Amino acid sequence: MASRGGPQRPNGASQGKICQFKLVLLGESAVGKSSLVLRFVKGQFHEYQESTIGAAFLTQTVCLDDTTVKFEIWDTAGQERYHSLAPMYYRGAQAAIVVYDITNPDTFGRAKTWVKELQRQASPNIVIALAGNKADLASKRMVEFDEAQAYAEENSLLFMETSAKTAMNVNDIFLAIAKKLPKSETSGTPQPRQGVRLNNEQGGQQSEGGCCK
Amino acid sequence: MDETYDVIVMGTGLKECILSGMLSVSGKKVLHVDRNPYYGGESASLTPIDQVFEHFKKSVPENKYGRGREWNVDLIPKFLMANGQLVKLLIHTGVTRYLEFKSVDGSYVYKGGKIYKVPADEKEALATSLMGLFEKRRFKNFLQHVQDYNVDDPKTYKGVEPNMVAKQVYEKYSLDANTQDFTGHALALFRNDEYMAKPCVDLIKRCRLYSDSLARYGKSPYLYPLYGLGELPQGFARLSAIYGGTYMLDKPVDEIVMEDGHVVGVKSQGETAKCGIVVCDPTYAPDRCKKVGQVVRAICILNHPIPNTKDGQSVQIIIPQNQVSRKDDIYVCMVSAAHNVCAKGYYLAIVATTVETSDPEAELQPGLELLGAIEEKFVSVVDLLEPIDDGTENKIFISMSYDATTHFETTCDDVLSLFKRITGEDFDFSKVQHTDTETVE
Ligand SMILES: Nc1nc2c(ncn2[C@@H]2O[C@H](COP(=O)(O)OP(=O)(O)OP(=O)(O)O)[C@@H](O)[C@H]2O)c(=O)[nH]1
Ligand SMILES: [Mg+2]
Repeated sequence: MASRGGPQRPNGASQGKICQFKLVLLGESAVGKSSLVLRFVKGQFHEYQESTIGAAFLTQTVCLDDTTVKFEIWDTAGQERYHSLAPMYYRGAQAAIVVYDITNPDTFGRAKTWVKELQRQASPNIVIALAGNKADLASKRMVEFDEAQAYAEENSLLFMETSAKTAMNVNDIFLAIAKKLPKSETSGTPQPRQGVRLNNEQGGQQSEGGCCK
Repeated sequence: MDETYDVIVMGTGLKECILSGMLSVSGKKVLHVDRNPYYGGESASLTPIDQVFEHFKKSVPENKYGRGREWNVDLIPKFLMANGQLVKLLIHTGVTRYLEFKSVDGSYVYKGGKIYKVPADEKEALATSLMGLFEKRRFKNFLQHVQDYNVDDPKTYKGVEPNMVAKQVYEKYSLDANTQDFTGHALALFRNDEYMAKPCVDLIKRCRLYSDSLARYGKSPYLYPLYGLGELPQGFARLSAIYGGTYMLDKPVDEIVMEDGHVVGVKSQGETAKCGIVVCDPTYAPDRCKKVGQVVRAICILNHPIPNTKDGQSVQIIIPQNQVSRKDDIYVCMVSAAHNVCAKGYYLAIVATTVETSDPEAELQPGLELLGAIEEKFVSVVDLLEPIDDGTENKIFISMSYDATTHFETTCDDVLSLFKRITGEDFDFSKVQHTDTETVE
């Protein structure tokens, strides 16, 4: 159980450190971005996942040795549809998952465009992972594993084929990202949470919620 | 584009984005367009730095200002009052989750050619040379009364009826002219002295906002978002999108289509999107606006903090009009690399005031003089436009241009008034459901 709202850190995490990272999802509509988040954060899958409305900001923690990595996950909200994604979306992001659908080659092409965009716009040391989603639909495969892997290697991306439906590689891809993220203050990335988050309480600083079970 | 919407919003300035968010949250189908390829309109933060030079039609210097992407240069300078309406809107809508803020280091006020820190606590108040010992005592009594004052409780009036004018209240507490200047302009943040002849409740309300804001984060009552003010419209645009709003940037608008005296659609690049309501900034409907004044602003790049501010990384300086024989105050807002708005070692200061003469740039001189050496200066004089009608007949609801105030209180007043005119009701904050609040399990 995570403790919430308390001013001090939860007991379980007192000896280890908590690192918070912003992670953004990118990819063509219907490739399964929201489904991957839903699987990772809530362990659920909806066959008829609605196009993202209402829920586009979730947090989830993973534990690595003595470090709790807290992901602040940003899902797109349709602003990318007409190339109107706001820069705030990838600004300050330390990690990104670019998703395509292995049954749809167009989405792989689009994924490559997003990778380029991230390399141009996002912070220079952003960790990018490529996810070939809907791996459960192998019979309808249109994008070869080897092709995607070769592309990922060329561009120094993490790569996995995933399935939000069967949960295959979903936790693994987040964990792989967590491992690759620099976790010391001296690592060169802008340290997350430099300022204050506003809330209703006096003092404003949001309390950390973390968990290690 | 050939579709039907409840509302088409034009321009992605802060006001339009807040309204777009509120309307989407209220269940309206919203199309939001902007002729520019970036978010923010008049309230954008330009990035990279080349865009700033291009915007002001200056040639871009080579390799001078570090990585261009490190720059996010506000066109309109403002700070948020920590306890003000915009902060309430940010919290209630959940938009605050997309943003991080920093408390502004210090607020200063100009008196007799020098700047003085506006005391932020008891200790600073005792130490300040802003006023003499006896004046301090009188001022303290005034502040105490303001803090206890409650319009709904006549017992707290103690001889200060709500309809008593501000000037009389100052006289009651025997505050001298300098203290009046300081109170009205550096605390209550009035832009000129018109308030002196008006009922004192407004003065009292504004002093309270100042002290309540100060109590929140300590150093000053002001907050500033990392990466610049342009994050604010983007945050509300995201809110709108999450609730189904459609966004199109880089979309020129040809015409607002009318029928029987009210709006029926918006034409862009040969296509018409139908709608019953249009919301826009004045630049999208100039023939439906009137000019009510002008603001002059100078964006200055410095390579040092402002002198005499203890190397503050973010400061505000208010020059009360009386001090420089003007009718309107001059404002200086400065932010720096600490806010991710410029490359390390640089500082961005904006000097602004309401235009009173035919030589607007010269009017900024008292403010510019406080900055020390200036590396680069971008000056703009913009018209303040207001809609000629309230929009309830023709269903075209137009916001007012951003005035010279250094905070967002008048911005929010305009937004809430527009929302009420558009929907016929006050915005119901409870309609925003935090379906996407933190999941920690
Ligand atoms: N078979 C299978 N279907 C999936 C998988 N992941 C997602 N889907 C389905 O694909 C559809 C789209 O998934 P979403 O998660 O909404 O996709 P999205 O990328 O968030 O789409 P937008 O929000 O429109 O950008 C839904 O019907 C999901 O049920 C998967 O791994 N396998
Ligand atoms: Mg989605």
